[in-house]
Amino acid sequence: MIPEVGHLALIAHLVLCFFAGIIPLFGIYFRNQALYFSCKRISLLLFSLVSLSFLCLVYSFLIDDFSVAYVAQNSNLNLPFYFKFAATWGAHEGSLILWIFAMNAWLLGFIYLTKSDDESFSLVTFSIACQVMFAFSLFTLFTSNPFERILPIPPINGADLNPSLQDIAFTVHPPLLYFGYSGLLIPFAIAVSAMIFQKETKEWAASARPWALLSCSFLTLGIALGSWWAYYELGWGGWWFWDPVENAAFVPWLLSVALFHSLITSQTKGLFGKWSVLLSIFAFATSLLGTFLVRSGILTSVHAFALDPERGLFILGILAFFIIGSLGIYSLRDFSKPTTEKYEVTSKEFGFLLNNLLLVILAVAILFGTIFPLIYEAITDGRQISVGAPYFEAILFPFAILLGILQGFALYLSWGSTKSFTFLQRILIESVSIFTLLIIFIYVVFSSFNFSSFITIFLSVWIAMGTLQITQRFKSNYWEFLRRRAAVIFAHVGMAILVLGVAVVSNYSIEREIILEKGDSYLLEDKQITFNSMEDKLGPNYVSKLAKITFMDQSSDHEVITEKRTYFPSGQPTTEAGISSNVVRDLYISLGDNLQTDIWSFKVQIKPFIRWIWFGSIMIALGTLIAGIKQIRRS
Amino acid sequence: MIKEYGKRSLQFTSMNKLIIFTISILLSVVALSEEPSISNIDVYPFSDPQKEELFYSLIFELRCPKCQSSNLSGSNSPISNDLKREVYELVNEGKSAQQIEAHLIERYGNFIVYNPPIEPATLVLWYGPLFLLFLSLVIIFYIRRKK
Amino acid sequence: MNKIIDIAPLIIFVALILVLLTFLSEKEDQLESVLIDSTFPEFSIASLKDPKRNLSKKDISELPALINVWATWCIACRIEHPFLMDLKKNSVLKIYGLNYKDEREKALDLLKRDGDPYEFSIYDFDGRLAIDLGVYGAPETFFIDENGVIRERHVGVIDKRVWEEKFAIYLNE
Repeated sequence: MIPEVGHLALIAHLVLCFFAGIIPLFGIYFRNQALYFSCKRISLLLFSLVSLSFLCLVYSFLIDDFSVAYVAQNSNLNLPFYFKFAATWGAHEGSLILWIFAMNAWLLGFIYLTKSDDESFSLVTFSIACQVMFAFSLFTLFTSNPFERILPIPPINGADLNPSLQDIAFTVHPPLLYFGYSGLLIPFAIAVSAMIFQKETKEWAASARPWALLSCSFLTLGIALGSWWAYYELGWGGWWFWDPVENAAFVPWLLSVALFHSLITSQTKGLFGKWSVLLSIFAFATSLLGTFLVRSGILTSVHAFALDPERGLFILGILAFFIIGSLGIYSLRDFSKPTTEKYEVTSKEFGFLLNNLLLVILAVAILFGTIFPLIYEAITDGRQISVGAPYFEAILFPFAILLGILQGFALYLSWGSTKSFTFLQRILIESVSIFTLLIIFIYVVFSSFNFSSFITIFLSVWIAMGTLQITQRFKSNYWEFLRRRAAVIFAHVGMAILVLGVAVVSNYSIEREIILEKGDSYLLEDKQITFNSMEDKLGPNYVSKLAKITFMDQSSDHEVITEKRTYFPSGQPTTEAGISSNVVRDLYISLGDNLQTDIWSFKVQIKPFIRWIWFGSIMIALGTLIAGIKQIRRS
Repeated sequence: MIKEYGKRSLQFTSMNKLIIFTISILLSVVALSEEPSISNIDVYPFSDPQKEELFYSLIFELRCPKCQSSNLSGSNSPISNDLKREVYELVNEGKSAQQIEAHLIERYGNFIVYNPPIEPATLVLWYGPLFLLFLSLVIIFYIRRKK
Repeated sequence: MNKIIDIAPLIIFVALILVLLTFLSEKEDQLESVLIDSTFPEFSIASLKDPKRNLSKKDISELPALINVWATWCIACRIEHPFLMDLKKNSVLKIYGLNYKDEREKALDLLKRDGDPYEFSIYDFDGRLAIDLGVYGAPETFFIDENGVIRERHVGVIDKRVWEEKFAIYLNE
């Protein structure tokens, strides 16, 4: 009964989206005000419908209704209840409901929090958003319906949630990421509407900017969480792998960053109207593309959902419709007034232009690199190659340097033209001094030098010093300055911290594969690693071999647990790593194979400064969140 | 006790002999017994730290041919372990990174290396981004000059 | 000039869509062998049945032949086993086995139980010959022509359809 309610709610949502998506357009075209409706009421209704649908699915999971095929495939009687809840988005079909729910939430927020004096503009924006939601609902109902039933004899028990997903991070990572992706729907809809109405650049940019910022914030958190989760869950100590699905999230992130920066110039100076429109379109396009790549089966990845070319075709169709449609309007409609404002190369405008350029080319390069193996196979008639970390890191490096340098002094640039460049001198002196201190600190703590890390570490210091403008604190209103610029300071300093974390962990990590007998110790640098015990453990839905390891050095003594679990219903094994962390480093150990009685192999690693990467990411997410909220309040 | 002895010369009293004897026994017991193992047992032992570094960087850049998407370092599958052993042996023989990669590419194709080769078909991949940047800057300055 | 810049994003995007469309239609899920058209590698490994007998490349003498990678832990190998027995029964061509990372006793037991389609099996217990062949799992099957050159490799179960589509052509040359 409940699944049917959920199903019907989704159908009602589909139908309402259809009408909401086209009626206002008729109204605008025929200038018939009778066809206008209240966006607020409709968006509330739509949100209620999708929430009902979503809740019905959740409920089916929580009561173990295995007559619902999706529940049977992704849940199990022994699954802890919080995982049953999260299993709602554990596979393709349910994750689409989450997507649609997120889109509705954003639209609701947009409609209620935006004061607009231009009714037709808001209406068309709303319409376009409804069209997108219609497409997703159509896709879900026709190819990926989570409410399908196994009747008349439902299975007694389910297949279980994929064991790698049975982790607390899973309850937050996909929702955050999906909210990030789907939020880009709003700037997209605004941009297309702006083109249609030939709206003033300054006005529509002001309208779109908060939503680009908030989407970016969610994307940042979602990606950071994914990285952290992969680190401790997958057992091999890596935090970014340039896996196709990781790239599929990174590319929209880069474009959303470019977008809200471009929107600053558009809002303040009325410039970059075309840049901002294109960025709005492509940020949304790449988030849809990411969805396509993951669900179509054309790329092998640790993340790949159900591999189904038919579904891939449908998503590709959705992507083609909206993007070709919006780009068609872009090509044909003369919407942007030619700019008369001039700006020098030394100006803030030019800085933003460079920023746009660097981020866009980087995004294109990463996207291209991700699908390149397929292109290569096609043009060389079957030969296969891999494009992975070495390539992406080599490409990222020069762009990161250029972006970092820009980020360091961009805040000092003036609109139009910058008269004096004495600030460069100041930042340089500040940076060099802090950099020296940092290098000494690293040498003391890690007793090793790595010249290739110096550039990246200096870059990180450069960014931080440029943003904090420390020497300005001797002027009277430094705290006022900090308060006013809280958002950008959090975001940019967060980036500096992230870059520092990356620099150190990439260059100063150590790993070893070792064999230990129970009671044995291994000496890695100054840490003594002792294999204390091995026991068998029975979990709610798994059985595991649990090893207790002690990390000991002069200052501390810490015991961690690493396990090899086998989950009952699927028989799938996972490795849980044992991690001992403090501010400066993580000690990481994962259980390997049982070689002989009481003798096991382990992989042990020292990861210095790795937590700084996620701490920096959280600061970036916070900064963009603050900025987004500020912009909403201002409008 | 030592201070007392300091005041008089060390005499070979029977007490001293007993003490010396006991200490000798204890020392020899300690010397001959097994050291409590700080065993340093590596799965891949190296005498040369440079070779060790080469090994760990190679298994990071080599792909597991059987896994969906993983390097040798992050995979525990049988083929990965075999390939790690192969890399280990080649590193110990003194082969360079290029030689080892070539050895594996001969057998598994370019798929097994995460670093794509630099050849005509991959020129766009490797030089595209920086070229695009350069081209864009040229276009921007050209447009600015026109205005 | 302006018009070109305006229409460029659309054209680039359409190209991207078309490229992605072509990717959807074809999907090869096995790694292509790079050893096609090269000679079978040298080796010196003991035979499965006779630990004292050392096998080498020249022992693969009756060409053309199939080299089949198999093991007792490989479930799919059991599925293709009857087909291999068929090939032997009909004297189509000789099959040589590469027993991959297996245990001698178990392997011999299996051959005794289910039948032995192989002229001999190479006891590649540590997978070294397999690496030289670019093998990454079991079952895999190689076709060696009369000159000792590898002409084709199939990853996965070999059955009548695979034989006809991939291997039979080389036999008729």
